Amino acid sequence: MNYVGKSVKRIFDPRLITGRQNYVDDINFQGLHAAFVRSPYAHAKVKSIDTSDAMKSKGVVAVLTGKDLKLREPMRPWVTYIDTSHLKNAPRYIFHDTVKYVGEPVAIVLATDRYYATDAAEKVNVDYEQLKPVTTMEAAAEDKVLVHPDLGTNIAYDSNFNAGNAEEAIKRADVRIPVEIANERLSPSPMEPRGLVSRYESGFLTVWISTQIPHILRNEFARMLGLESSKIRVVMPDIGGAFGSKAHIIPEELAVIAASMKLNSTVKWVATRSEEMLASTARHNHFKGEVGFMKDGTLVGIKGTLDVEMGAYITYTSMIQPQIIPPMIPGPYSVKNLAIRSRAVYTNTLPITMYRGASRPEATFIIERIMSIGADELKMTDVDIRMKNLIPPSSMPYKNPFGLQYDSGDYPGLLRKAVEKLEYNKLRSWAQEERKKGHRVGVGMAFYLEICGFGPWEYAEVRVDEYGNVSVITGATPHGQGTETGIAQIVADELGVDMNRITVIWGDTAVVPAGFGTYGSRSISLAGSAAALAARKILERMKSVAASQLGVEKVEYVQGEFRGGGKSMKWEEVARKAYEVKDPGLMAYQFYEANVTFPYGVGVAVVEVDEFGIPKVLKYMSYDDIGKVINPLLAEGQVYGAVVQAVGQALYEDAKIDENGQLAVTFGEYYVPTFMEAPEMKSQFTDDPHNSGYTTGSKGIGEAGLIVGPAVVIRALEDAVGARFTKTPTKPEEILRSMKK
Amino acid sequence: MLVRPGDTVKVTMKVNGAKHEVEVEPRKLLVHTLRDMGLTGTKVGCDSSVCGACTVILNGRPVKSCTLLTVQADQGEIITIEGISSEGKLHPIQEAFWENHALQCGYCTSGMIMNAYAFLKEHKNPTDEEIRDYMHGNICRCTGYQNIVNAVREAAKRMGQ
Amino acid sequence: MYPRETGYFRPSNMEEALKFLDKETESRPLAGGQSLIPMMRYRLISPSYLVDITHLNMSHIKATGSELRIGATTRYAELLANNEVGKMAPLLHKTLMHVGDYQVRSMGTLGGSASNADPGSDSPAALMAMNAKFVLRSGGGNREVAAKDFFKGPFTTDLKQGELLEEIVIPTHSDYKTNYMKLVRRAGDYAIVSVALMLKMKGDSVEDVRLAYANASDRPYRAREAEDFLRGKKLTDDNVREAGEIASKHSSPPSDIRGSSEYRRELIKLVTMKALRGMA
Repeated sequence: MNYVGKSVKRIFDPRLITGRQNYVDDINFQGLHAAFVRSPYAHAKVKSIDTSDAMKSKGVVAVLTGKDLKLREPMRPWVTYIDTSHLKNAPRYIFHDTVKYVGEPVAIVLATDRYYATDAAEKVNVDYEQLKPVTTMEAAAEDKVLVHPDLGTNIAYDSNFNAGNAEEAIKRADVRIPVEIANERLSPSPMEPRGLVSRYESGFLTVWISTQIPHILRNEFARMLGLESSKIRVVMPDIGGAFGSKAHIIPEELAVIAASMKLNSTVKWVATRSEEMLASTARHNHFKGEVGFMKDGTLVGIKGTLDVEMGAYITYTSMIQPQIIPPMIPGPYSVKNLAIRSRAVYTNTLPITMYRGASRPEATFIIERIMSIGADELKMTDVDIRMKNLIPPSSMPYKNPFGLQYDSGDYPGLLRKAVEKLEYNKLRSWAQEERKKGHRVGVGMAFYLEICGFGPWEYAEVRVDEYGNVSVITGATPHGQGTETGIAQIVADELGVDMNRITVIWGDTAVVPAGFGTYGSRSISLAGSAAALAARKILERMKSVAASQLGVEKVEYVQGEFRGGGKSMKWEEVARKAYEVKDPGLMAYQFYEANVTFPYGVGVAVVEVDEFGIPKVLKYMSYDDIGKVINPLLAEGQVYGAVVQAVGQALYEDAKIDENGQLAVTFGEYYVPTFMEAPEMKSQFTDDPHNSGYTTGSKGIGEAGLIVGPAVVIRALEDAVGARFTKTPTKPEEILRSMKK
Repeated sequence: MLVRPGDTVKVTMKVNGAKHEVEVEPRKLLVHTLRDMGLTGTKVGCDSSVCGACTVILNGRPVKSCTLLTVQADQGEIITIEGISSEGKLHPIQEAFWENHALQCGYCTSGMIMNAYAFLKEHKNPTDEEIRDYMHGNICRCTGYQNIVNAVREAAKRMGQ
Repeated sequence: MYPRETGYFRPSNMEEALKFLDKETESRPLAGGQSLIPMMRYRLISPSYLVDITHLNMSHIKATGSELRIGATTRYAELLANNEVGKMAPLLHKTLMHVGDYQVRSMGTLGGSASNADPGSDSPAALMAMNAKFVLRSGGGNREVAAKDFFKGPFTTDLKQGELLEEIVIPTHSDYKTNYMKLVRRAGDYAIVSVALMLKMKGDSVEDVRLAYANASDRPYRAREAEDFLRGKKLTDDNVREAGEIASKHSSPPSDIRGSSEYRRELIKLVTMKALRGMA
């Protein structure tokens, strides 16, 4: 029986393809629906809230405001991954007396029906006194208008990431190049808008919530609401996508929970798409600096300022970006002199969440743009300049200038293979010939080094019941990736059983004793390894039961049979017996402690631009080293999904905020790619993988496509048009302008 | 027939072969009525009528049930995702989606399958370009679409046999 | 997301419908709802009553020798499935394939889109190019309005209170070469700009040409100056370019999320040139 490494079909799809999914909005319940009253202003004092008209509205049971719903403790960032020691953090509660972004909720309406709740929300009369807002990072950095006057500044975080001597290195460089590289704000836009059902009965709180982090939420709810954590149960229903944006808490969710506690009732709220866009925008950052190259292409120094927009409040994950982007800027290259000033900036706009890649796409875009700009200025090819700078395999494991330990890999080797396997040079020649005929088509590439597999640990428990059937309880929280299938494959191989005997359970804090969750491309590695080790413990126990049953010292386990002393016992027999002997039971758990790993790879894209400046990505090919591949079908699926998101980021998606601080687009104008914009894709994994140190040997693939994709697409766009672009998204109007030059 | 604002109206529909009578306000969207009837397979993904997660078949044509009032479906025949498999036997389109890993989180899947169902009735032998063109009213954020194109192509082949 | 309260009236005949629409000044006719319902969901409009006009026998396609008479509530899908429409009014088929998406075309109606008069909509541009006529019915009878007089401004037509668009009359044009070229930021979206082109050649000179655009003005834009310039001329590169420039010069496109008016003006010129060149 050998499942690992095979493209096994997912175990839970039948539910999803027959309309039997159970997302939070599918949960049927008896209780109240919620709707929110939201600020139309980016910055205003709430002078008064008159709920009397709303209370007379049909179906309304209550209208609650800041005076009714309070938190014991405010929201705070994810301290597991974020260093808050030098953070100027404004405390964030449910409803505030001063609103600081358009869409900020100021009241919650509870009614018997969603239509009625929405009707009533329109009838709540809020008296606002408008204050001057600051809605761009540039203006905010001047500290003339403050988002949080108590903090005295809009700079929430200002830290220098220094290694070597960048100033000196750049001074002595043969070529100095100024660079300005940016990503504009995005909306992660999972197809399922978030929501929750909160039920409070006499001291016990149960919350069904569209989230990636149920255990963490339980702890945060306990802290913020002042409840014992053992009296809180958080349940993850099916999740319709998350992409990092549902490792998050928003005041609306806390308002629903607090309302259910106050009214001793069940309350449900599911965001409309417009509200989902308010809940989660991501990834606005701007890097301005200077780099130094030697004539032979060696990158000797990088210096600059990185500004990352936070929005009006620091959220659970937004500070990951300013802290992890700088140490990842060197990437897979041997540059040792860096001086990067990293700032987090408050503005009166929607608070930022993390989004697939969470700082690595930003860092990769910066370093890959630097490499390509260097190639252009030095008249070298993209491949040659990278070969010049890639850390050689002889230097592995490699400690990067900021202390990150790259575990294993052969970066130049992979680049060489990728160039060959993806027929990169042939494609570039073809594109060149096409351009001579007037067909504006270009080929671009980029290389990425990814950091993933974030610890500190993940949990797994394996149980074999009296029938010999297996349950794996995991702290991972897959929400579309198919990790549960990968984990079942791993456990099936460890135990030598048919995969059909295995059920994987996750997402319920009452059932799963502990866990962090699925994010940061960590689950198949950490949760898979935990499950593998727990399974091994079970097998040891079963061997010992079999041995004692067979009256021998030791047994061998071969293809479902325990053999010793010329006799044998089947798997089912041993399982049954294990519950009849002294010290019964067959369950084992494992906390798998681990630290990060570093997959890497190459992307190549073919982009065509028509005479109107409108771009189209025709093809995208990837070649990755992600260590051991547990399920190629699922791993490819992750690449394809992430690549189309990268295409979206590079060319289509702009969660534009206007001068009044308002989100200027509806979902109809926020251009998530459709079938027509998505390219033909081919994903390949190297035939010479460098495994991680985890039990599974895997590294991680969930985010890689979006980490390198934007740099690949923009490079191909540059090749098609013969101009330089350093921003995502790059829009047709800008492309046409550059074509006319 | 005159229904005053705030009053309800009786709507009769055949859904997945069974007759249903509901009493709804004129403003109630068809997708909400179907979901309140327990047919939660049809999803709400957006409020701009672009994502297609709410696609059902009405009188033989694919429609976005979030952009229809329940009352517009009066006397109509509706097929939802729950209506295309029977007694545990999957429709070839559903099988093809499963085999080809044409879904990840599953949220867009009901709408995708229903639109493909309608499309394949009219186009028995589609090219990949046609599949993409007829399905661009269904948005997926997880799969990158390629596996869905593969699944619909394969389903067409299977259904042609 | 959730529309405001509204009433619903299903008239059993045209007279009832007209009387009701005339009396209830805040009521709106409901055909496909593909423009109306999205606006109601955002609560941008809240009609007092919706008047369901889909049971008033206005879903017909009648072909006479020289014209196609299309009932206002005929769905796009029906028009696209009709071979006669394809033969007699090829521009209509070419245009409708670009409207929205497959699902929207099941419900959306030609009359609905015309009465909505969104300057960014595809069918009004094509109807302008085709010199369509609109039959407006009221308590007092019928009147026929030419497309150029029907579309008066953004979301504004010549329909008066108590009037209903009953029929759209399209002169057949199977002897014209036609094309509808639509530039979009993303599939299914409204046009950045689009051009509906009809062309009849006599030898190698232009006998007649129609150029109409979406999102080039505050209503569907007929580039009459460019048409006048081209009539009688050959389709040389220079003439094609000048036609594009004239069309662009007289346009007044909006600035929105899809593009600035400056960008649109440039595209109007380029798409005109591309459409004309494609006819050679």
